Amino acid sequence: MDHVRNFCIIAHIDHGKSTLADRLIQACGGVDERDFRDQLLDSMDLERERGITIKSNTVTLSYTADDGKTYQLNLIDTPGHVDFSHEVRRSLMSCEGALILVDASQGVEAQTVANLYLALEYELELLPVINKIDLPAADVERAREEIDSDLGLDGLEALAVSAKQGTGIHELLEAIVHRLPPPKGDPAAEPRALVFDAQYDAYRGVVVLCRIMDGSLKKGQRVRFMHTGKNYEIEECGILKLKREEVKELRAGSVGYFIAGIKTVRDIAIGDTVTDASNKAPEPLPGYQEAKPVVFSSIYPMATDEYEDLAKALERLHLNDAALVYEKDSSAALGHGFRCGFLGLLHLEIVQQRLQREFDLSLLLSAPSVRYHVYMKSGEKQVVENPAYFPDPAEIDRVEEPFISASIMIPERYVGAVMELCRERRGQKTDLRYLSQGRVEITSELPLAEVLFDFYDKLKSSTQGYGSFDYEMLDYREADVVKVDILVNGEKVDALSQLVHREKSRMRALHYCEQLAETIPKHQFKIPIQGAIGGSVIARTTINALRKDVTAKCYGGDITRKRKLLEKQKKGKERMKQVGSVAIPQEAFVAVLKTDTGD
Amino acid sequence: MDAAGAAGLYLHCPFCSVVCPYCDFAVLTGRPDKRRRFAEALVREIELRADAPFSFDTVYFGGGTPTAQAPEELASILEAARRHLSVAPEALVSLEANPEDVSAESLAVWRELGAGTLSLGVQSFDDDALRLLGRRHSAEQARRAVELALGAGFETVSVDLIFALPGRDEASWFRELEAAAELGSQHVSCYQLTFHEGTPFHAKRERGELVEPGEPEQARLFRLTHERLAAHGLEAYEVSNFARGEQHRSRHNRKYWRHEPYLGLGPSAHSFDGRRRWWNERELKDWQAAVEGGELPTAGEESLAPEQLALEALMLGLRTTEGIDFGRIRERTGRDLLGANRELIERLESEGLARLVEARLQPTLDGLAVADSLAALFRLD
Repeated sequence: MDHVRNFCIIAHIDHGKSTLADRLIQACGGVDERDFRDQLLDSMDLERERGITIKSNTVTLSYTADDGKTYQLNLIDTPGHVDFSHEVRRSLMSCEGALILVDASQGVEAQTVANLYLALEYELELLPVINKIDLPAADVERAREEIDSDLGLDGLEALAVSAKQGTGIHELLEAIVHRLPPPKGDPAAEPRALVFDAQYDAYRGVVVLCRIMDGSLKKGQRVRFMHTGKNYEIEECGILKLKREEVKELRAGSVGYFIAGIKTVRDIAIGDTVTDASNKAPEPLPGYQEAKPVVFSSIYPMATDEYEDLAKALERLHLNDAALVYEKDSSAALGHGFRCGFLGLLHLEIVQQRLQREFDLSLLLSAPSVRYHVYMKSGEKQVVENPAYFPDPAEIDRVEEPFISASIMIPERYVGAVMELCRERRGQKTDLRYLSQGRVEITSELPLAEVLFDFYDKLKSSTQGYGSFDYEMLDYREADVVKVDILVNGEKVDALSQLVHREKSRMRALHYCEQLAETIPKHQFKIPIQGAIGGSVIARTTINALRKDVTAKCYGGDITRKRKLLEKQKKGKERMKQVGSVAIPQEAFVAVLKTDTGD
Repeated sequence: MDAAGAAGLYLHCPFCSVVCPYCDFAVLTGRPDKRRRFAEALVREIELRADAPFSFDTVYFGGGTPTAQAPEELASILEAARRHLSVAPEALVSLEANPEDVSAESLAVWRELGAGTLSLGVQSFDDDALRLLGRRHSAEQARRAVELALGAGFETVSVDLIFALPGRDEASWFRELEAAAELGSQHVSCYQLTFHEGTPFHAKRERGELVEPGEPEQARLFRLTHERLAAHGLEAYEVSNFARGEQHRSRHNRKYWRHEPYLGLGPSAHSFDGRRRWWNERELKDWQAAVEGGELPTAGEESLAPEQLALEALMLGLRTTEGIDFGRIRERTGRDLLGANRELIERLESEGLARLVEARLQPTLDGLAVADSLAALFRLD
């Protein structure tokens, strides 16, 4: 165990986490030159493109230090977004140390501070690293001062590296070995392994990523997942060196994987504790939480005959994304689809993108909704996350909506803007606290529904990118929630109905109407678009009738060309959704559901 | 060949004295020797197509500017057509000409050739508009040319005009319509200016130097055109074409809109036999190389599936006041589009876009204006 170091890298987006990881892997000979590619640990295209980490990943490196001893370094890559804070916490729990990466040209960023607090919560040893010292704008001294003042760490002890050029990597590896502690744990005790993530292998089933806290795991062993209560037999265990490498035994302190004939990731739970089926640990490891979906949206295929494909794609996706939940749903306007639950908006977006890219599906998503508690006059309680099932207001006694406790870290100068943003979003008990000179944490109790719509974007733009945001679910509180329907040419488009706070209903409805008016092409007749609560119209726009589109000339040579245009147009129409006599293009739904409401 | 009626013969003469900045036809400028070589090649193509199973009752010289060819060249082309192809003796010969080429002498020559219809590329009766369009004649020349032509004994004299020009208002277009109508030509074509990709006008619009009137204004100009010309006895029979009575409607052009067969000769010309469409090499040199080498200059062809035939019949029918002939579509394609589109047709009627008269759907003026999008609404199965 003395020769093992488990660590993660905490960094603001863009401060070079993936590049540093690449360099450490290369320095330890973890990858052949010919297999090398940038962002080795980000395996999804989406991760590479957006520069974010979605799935946890881990790599075991073998490093022979200057003292002549060979160490096993386990680098655990963590997701970088609040939607996946559950996974982040599990990953941090698997480490003893963390590299705190600071960009030499930009200094300490808010997100770094937020994650630092998280790391401190898990009592990790922190090693500050100043990256990008090769940049002309690099100011290493200022970065050291900020590490002192903003992070409360010893800036003088920070290592200066350039991950891009490989400068200081050797010193960093030595520091990892000598300054980060080896894992603790009892090798002789009943086994306890923390499941911090899982991958899905088409041939082997679920690959469980875990950190062995006590005892050991080996092939042939019967193990038990303490929270789910399920037993499996380990078929293979090993360590991850970019590819899986089988080992005889995973001992206390190490990080690795095992395969145990588990069919889908739904069968296990992230954060669960694995122990021996007969030699059970008395207590599971602390901190287990079930990942619960908080955002709901219905997904429909653009072409109704793609429904079966969508069903298969969700099934496949679900194999390695246990947090995704779904059930059948149907809409009068959009046909058959699925009601899906997500960890947050980013999770929703990732699922949508993966369905489109990996399964080549063309999709429509309904407005995201939270889960409301509806108390009926009859005394009955209903849980509603789909506007279609919102009961008749006359029979409702009261509605409660979920609140979150949000923590927003910002430089002091943005306090006004962020306080205002929280107020606009119906924040309660908004408060602020000075962390260190110039740095402020704003806490606010916000309705989750208010955070669903572009809160993160608004925060970023009003703090010029400095704001970071984390939240946890708090409780349910009474709210004046109404169902807003959208009518196109007098016909309700059920997929556009949504549950909104009454205060926001007019604005939201108007936004929807305007977006639709912009994206629905003109028809041969006037199309009124209305937003309504029950029978009363609260917003309205009109698409004027098409008056002139006929091309002037059509003689011998033009006929083929014109017919081809028409064929294209008809094809385009097939991809539109017909609501009454109005054809609504997919972009209209996308525009309505995506862009900000201007509030 | 299953289309009804005799075929039309189209002869494309690509030369112009200048190329107009809005034109996207296969045109070019060239000295007399080049034009003569072209005329000889066109005669050659006529010989190559001698076995085409068409019989023609119209011959149409289009372009380009057919009158850029010397009269004897036009005569030799026409003579070759009569000798090698099955052209009815009484076939109507139409000729496109530019106002600046019109004189008592030239008119006599064209009459001599046997031209029954003379179509004049007037484009505008306003000097500013003519300058904008890059035309070489003046408004006065245009007026004189029309008057001269009307006195030369043609069955039909037609005037081509262009509207919706950048920077021109409704009042100026109104004056032009009045001028055209008062001159008394038996036929008028009014084309809305189209910014074709690849033309100088298109480039200027992209750069913001020319501003195209918006859709509401285009619609107003379109309506104004139809209403004013109707008031002067020029009845619309197609989106852009107006005539004083049935006998002056273009017999040749109606073949296109009625989906009847036509044979097109010359560079870029298209042909249609009722099922199949083919087209010639667009570039003069490619077309010429093939013909002079004794080969058919066909560049491409397509066989129309019943569904495509039906779609074309719809889109062409909706451009004309006689409308869509569902009975004929059924005979030709086996598809009952009337039955398949009952609901749509009722809607179009209630919205005042078309009228069902027996088995014909005839667009109203509002319907004609949006004919392109109407055609896309129909079910074809």
